[in-house]
Amino acid sequence: MRKWAVISIVLISAAAIIAVIIAEHRSALPGRRPANPFAYDVEEFRSVDQELIRWRETHQVQLDREDPRAMAYSDGKIYLAAGNELQVIGSDWSRILRRTLPSEATCLAAAREGWIVAGMGNHLVILDSDGETIAESEALPEESSITSVAILGDNIYAADATGRRVLIYNRELEQTGEFRGDSGVSDVHGFIVPGAHFSLAVNSEDELWITNPGIHSLQNYTASGRLRSYIQRTSFGIDGFSGCCNPVHFTFLPDGRFVTSEKGIIRIKVIIGTGEVESVVAPPELFREGTNAPAVAVGDNGNVLALDFDRNMIRIFEPI
Amino acid sequence: MERKKTKSRREFISSSARFGLVLALGGIGGLAFRRSTGDQWVWQIDPFKCSWCGRCATNCVLNPSAVKCVHAYELCGYCDLCGGYLIPGHSDRSTAAENQLCPTAAIERKFIEEPYYEYKIKEDLCIGCAKCAEGCSAFGNGSLHLQIMHHLCVNCNECAIARACPSDAIKRVKGSDPYLMKGDYTK
Repeated sequence: MRKWAVISIVLISAAAIIAVIIAEHRSALPGRRPANPFAYDVEEFRSVDQELIRWRETHQVQLDREDPRAMAYSDGKIYLAAGNELQVIGSDWSRILRRTLPSEATCLAAAREGWIVAGMGNHLVILDSDGETIAESEALPEESSITSVAILGDNIYAADATGRRVLIYNRELEQTGEFRGDSGVSDVHGFIVPGAHFSLAVNSEDELWITNPGIHSLQNYTASGRLRSYIQRTSFGIDGFSGCCNPVHFTFLPDGRFVTSEKGIIRIKVIIGTGEVESVVAPPELFREGTNAPAVAVGDNGNVLALDFDRNMIRIFEPI
Repeated sequence: MERKKTKSRREFISSSARFGLVLALGGIGGLAFRRSTGDQWVWQIDPFKCSWCGRCATNCVLNPSAVKCVHAYELCGYCDLCGGYLIPGHSDRSTAAENQLCPTAAIERKFIEEPYYEYKIKEDLCIGCAKCAEGCSAFGNGSLHLQIMHHLCVNCNECAIARACPSDAIKRVKGSDPYLMKGDYTK
C-alpha cells in the first residue's frame, strides 16, 4: 500500500513537471507571447496611400561590385563609383568603361560634355570621358567629408558635410569661394548637417538647390551662394521629412520637380516647388529596413534611377 | 599473500578533510584569479539585433527592469522633431506631457541652440520599454537604444529577458567590457 502511494506521488509530480515545461515552452512561442503593453506602431508611417504610387519598377541592373558609393547620369550614360573603380553603363545596361580611380569616390557629377567630377572625401578630381584624371583640387582638412558635387556653368559646387559649407571651384579645381547658407534673415538658419548627408543638385533651369537636412529644407542659392528661396516640410508623415538628415539625396525630373530619397523610413517621392508631395516613386516596402537611402538620378526619358546600396543594384522606375 | 593495507575510519576522515580543504582553497583561488583577470561573463543587449519588443520591461526579474535606455550622443542628430521623444500627432514640439512618447517621462529634452535639442535619459524613471528606441530608429539615427545596466543587473544564470527575447539580441559578454554601446561599438 505504502509502495503504491510513493509511486503515485512520483508519477503525479513527474506529470506536473512535464506540464509546466510544456506550458512554458508553448507560452514562449512567437504566436503565444503576450502582447507588448508598450507597443509603438510605426507601420502607419510606412504604409503609403496606393493612389500616391504613380511609378512602377521596370528594370534592375545588378552590379558586379558590393561597394557602390555614388551614381550620376548624363547623356544616356550611368556613371557609377564603387570602391576605387569608376564604371560607365550604357543605355543597354552594358559596361562601357571601367577605370581605377586614384582613391575611393564618395560622390559624382557628370557634365553634358562627358567629363566627370568625383568627390573623394577631402578633395575633388575631374576625369575625362575615358576616366583619366585631368585636374585635382588641393586637399581640404582631413576631417572634411565631401558628400555631393554639382556642375553649374564654369563652377563646380561641393558639399562638405563636416564643414557645413558649400565650396565653389573653377574648372581647374581652384577654390574660388564658399558659403554656409547664412541668409541674414532671422528665421532661416545656415546649413545644419547632423550627419554625413548633405546634398546639392542643379536643375534644367540652371538653379542650384542644396539640402539643409537639419531643418528638412531644400534651398535655392544663386551661383555666388546667396539664398534665393526655400521649401521646408517637417513631418513624421509622408507629407514632409523627419529625422536628422532628410532628404539624404535628391535630383530633378526634366520639368523641375524634385525627386527625394529618405533614410529611416526609406522612400523615394516626387515633390513640387511648394513642397507638396506629388507622387511616390518607391514606397518603404521596396527596401529593407535599416539600410541606407538610395542615391537617385533621372534618365533622359524621365525615368528615376535608384542606387540600392543594400542589394547592389540600380533600380529603374517609370511613371505609370 | 600480502594483505592490502586498510585505512582506519579516523584516517579516512582526516584525509578526506585535508582533500576537501585543498579543493576549497583551490576553488577560492581560482575564483579570485578569474575575477581579477576580468573574465566574468555578464548579459548584454546587442543593439543591432534588438527589435524593441517591450519584453525587457516586463520579463526582467527586477522591477523596474535592469534594462535602461542609453543615448549614443555622437550618433544623435539633436533634432527638434525627435522620433524618440515626441509622440506621433503631437500638438506641439514641446516638453508638455501629452507630446511625450515615453510612458514614464524618462527623457529630458533641453534646448541647446537653434535648432538643436539634447535628450538625456533619467535612469531612475526608465523602465526599458524601448518605445523611444523604436521611434529613434524608425525616424532617426537609432542613437537611443537599450542596454543592461550592470550596477542594477543581478546577472542571473538564466536571464529571464534573454529567454523571452524574440530576436536573440541578449548574449553573454566579458565583464571587463560589459556594454555594447552603439557609438563605441561601431568604432
